[in-house]
Amino acid sequence: MIPRMVKDMLAAGQRAHEEGKLTAYTLIASAYDEIIRAMDIVPLWVENFAGICSAKRNAMPFLEKAESHYFSRSMCTYALCCLGFDALREESGGMPANAPWGGLPRPDMMLGTGTMICDPRVKWFQAARQYMPDVPIHMTNILWPAYQQNIDHREIQDYYIRFMVSELRDLVAFLEKRTSRKMDWDRLAGLVDLADRTWNLFWETHELRRAVPTPMGTGDAFNTMVPLVFMLGTQQALDFYAALNQELKNRINNRMASVPDEKYRLMWGGGLAPWFALSDFDYFAAKGASFPVEISYRLAEPLYNLNVPRTSDPIEHIVWRWFKYLTYWYDAARKRNGSYPEVERMIRYIDDYQIDGIVIHEAFSCRTWHPGLICQLNTLKKIYRDIPTLVLESDMVDIGSYNESETHQRIDAFIDMLENETSHKSGS
Amino acid sequence: MTNSSTPSGSALVERYYSDYGSRARELKKQGRRFIGYLCAYVPLEIISAAGFIPFRVKGNVHEPISAADAQMETIVCPMVRSYFDQTLKGAWDFIEGLVLPHSCDSMCITHDIWRTSLNLPYFHLLNVPHTISDNSREFFVDCLRTFRTSMERYAGRTISNKAIEAEIEKYNALRKAVRHLYGLRRGDEPRISGSAIVRTLVAAMSLPVEEAVPMVESITIEGSKQGPAFERGTPRVMIVSSEQDDDGLASIVEECGGAVVSDFTCPGLREYGQDVEPHTDPLVGLAGRYLNLNCARTYRGETGKQSDDFEERFGIIGRLATDFRVRGVIIRVHRCCDPYGLEVPALRSYLANHGLAVLYIEDDYSIMDIGRLRTRIQAFIELISGSLETGVNIV
Repeated sequence: MIPRMVKDMLAAGQRAHEEGKLTAYTLIASAYDEIIRAMDIVPLWVENFAGICSAKRNAMPFLEKAESHYFSRSMCTYALCCLGFDALREESGGMPANAPWGGLPRPDMMLGTGTMICDPRVKWFQAARQYMPDVPIHMTNILWPAYQQNIDHREIQDYYIRFMVSELRDLVAFLEKRTSRKMDWDRLAGLVDLADRTWNLFWETHELRRAVPTPMGTGDAFNTMVPLVFMLGTQQALDFYAALNQELKNRINNRMASVPDEKYRLMWGGGLAPWFALSDFDYFAAKGASFPVEISYRLAEPLYNLNVPRTSDPIEHIVWRWFKYLTYWYDAARKRNGSYPEVERMIRYIDDYQIDGIVIHEAFSCRTWHPGLICQLNTLKKIYRDIPTLVLESDMVDIGSYNESETHQRIDAFIDMLENETSHKSGS
Repeated sequence: MTNSSTPSGSALVERYYSDYGSRARELKKQGRRFIGYLCAYVPLEIISAAGFIPFRVKGNVHEPISAADAQMETIVCPMVRSYFDQTLKGAWDFIEGLVLPHSCDSMCITHDIWRTSLNLPYFHLLNVPHTISDNSREFFVDCLRTFRTSMERYAGRTISNKAIEAEIEKYNALRKAVRHLYGLRRGDEPRISGSAIVRTLVAAMSLPVEEAVPMVESITIEGSKQGPAFERGTPRVMIVSSEQDDDGLASIVEECGGAVVSDFTCPGLREYGQDVEPHTDPLVGLAGRYLNLNCARTYRGETGKQSDDFEERFGIIGRLATDFRVRGVIIRVHRCCDPYGLEVPALRSYLANHGLAVLYIEDDYSIMDIGRLRTRIQAFIELISGSLETGVNIV
């Protein structure tokens, strides 16, 4: 179902102009999902497109094209892949011959975000503008207070909220100018409510994976996150999670496990997926290792846990929702000496999902999600317990960084370690 | 009447550059207190108004990174990894706190690593927005208020506006002194080499501002009295980079026959080119100056036309190249640097359109890596030597 949905998303972008709609290059988790949908702008999710190229093992021509234009291969390969694609598309005047699923259409605008993470979000579209100098960019800051020990985030939340609200209002003004239409605030409020319900259902569905054996693993979760992060604010996204929720309940009731002979329960403790190598989850499964939970792409907490203040302003609500999500683990971190939010989240999942070991993936080209993972594991060991961990190294797009044989050897060794741990615990 | 036992500016620079942090250790023994910081986005005036001496943490291009690798992933910018490596090894053991700005991923994302590994009594992450707008300025003023509160809590004292204004005056004096020093580089026969400038500015980073200003001023006086550092006609080169805390690259350029006469780096004209403007609220003045630093991590240029966008982003570099009569520009980017890396093609294009020869180099911060670029730098200098009348070359 997900591949069909992703193809449909791309197709929507490809036919947008025929339908009289404008398109925009958009970035994941940018707090503007409902806003762009309320303005009938068709999002072109560039990171998703790079992920598609990677999964289809078709990214290399685009990476090489970008590199030939003096973009360093050490940089974000999501950006490089799409920049190379943009260059080829603009040079040829049409879609490159090897464009996956019809390719990424030329946008009418590009919506960048300056957040606490991910430098490419700030510079990527400026770089793309070399190939599309007539396509305007709008930049929105989405910032939140870092976890600090001598400043409680609640002391300073007011000005963060004020700033982000003003940033999103500026975005609305930009979109109104581009579309020559005014925002329908009632419609936006409706989409925000839909998004809230989607967040709740997403989280509730994933909580079902606590079951032993787990009904769904991370390999599938990396696909089923698509509606949350790329279709938020649509009925289709909500319906998808309603269906998934029911499916998981059925699987639990009928003891249909993600890994039939589940021996080890692992957490994907961080790192973007190696999209070209999701089959490695099958390799883990063949050895009895399931993945009931992951940190990556679990981009929601239920609204009823977030204590979002009541407001009739949909923009304020969007901002509060994100702010509360991004600072959710701060209080837990303050309560445990030596801890910090990312580690608290790991601890909660280890306990709730009965985790035996952690796997992380260090993607060489991403300084957003990967620096700090080693430190998190070190801290976990210091303040919680010494839990077996495996570090995989490759990339999310550049398949040249991946060695299947070596990866499988590392997995084998890790499974041996888990087997030893299990034997010691059972006293055998 | 000068004191013959007072070291010359050059002697101080050589001492404090080659043994970076030595003055801080002397002052620490005298009871002075130090707060370390990374990057030009940290408002030093707030730190010094709190009674501490700001100390710029730096790396060591001569020392392989070792201790850092156990804590910090190797995909982090090699310069930041080296900063961390040196700090972990105790090179800056006199600092009692650290301020990290949200300038780039390599600094911001690693803040938990710094904080938990070093376990310093004081630590602050200063948030910095990515745009320059009224919204952003207002927000950044609030961030500076929070930073001030954080420093007050640690220092156990109030930091008054008057105290901040007094520090602004001192740091503006340093900025002026540096710009005056750069004046020695404009003439047909520059009076000071680019490598000497780097050593001077790096040495200054490690000193209290009250000592940095006279040191820089004495370098200017010395330079104005000495003969030319380069012969007339030596190809004039500018280095554009993020941070450059070692004279390695400038030295190689000059050994290859070039004259490094200008830069847009930190420390350098990016950092010293602009003062804090007076304002009834000094935090507003600080926000205006620091937010406006022209670093690639900030999104600039929303005017619509790409030519205007380029002018907004790179115009300062173009103007400096004209002002210092530069023939060639070396763009130096460290590996794993997304902000500067994503700018390279646009910047190359802009500079080439302005009739400048361009050399783009990417390195991993270490002196060995810079050394292997000697051949390309040599070729570049020969190119711009030979092409004074023949037009533009891009390498």
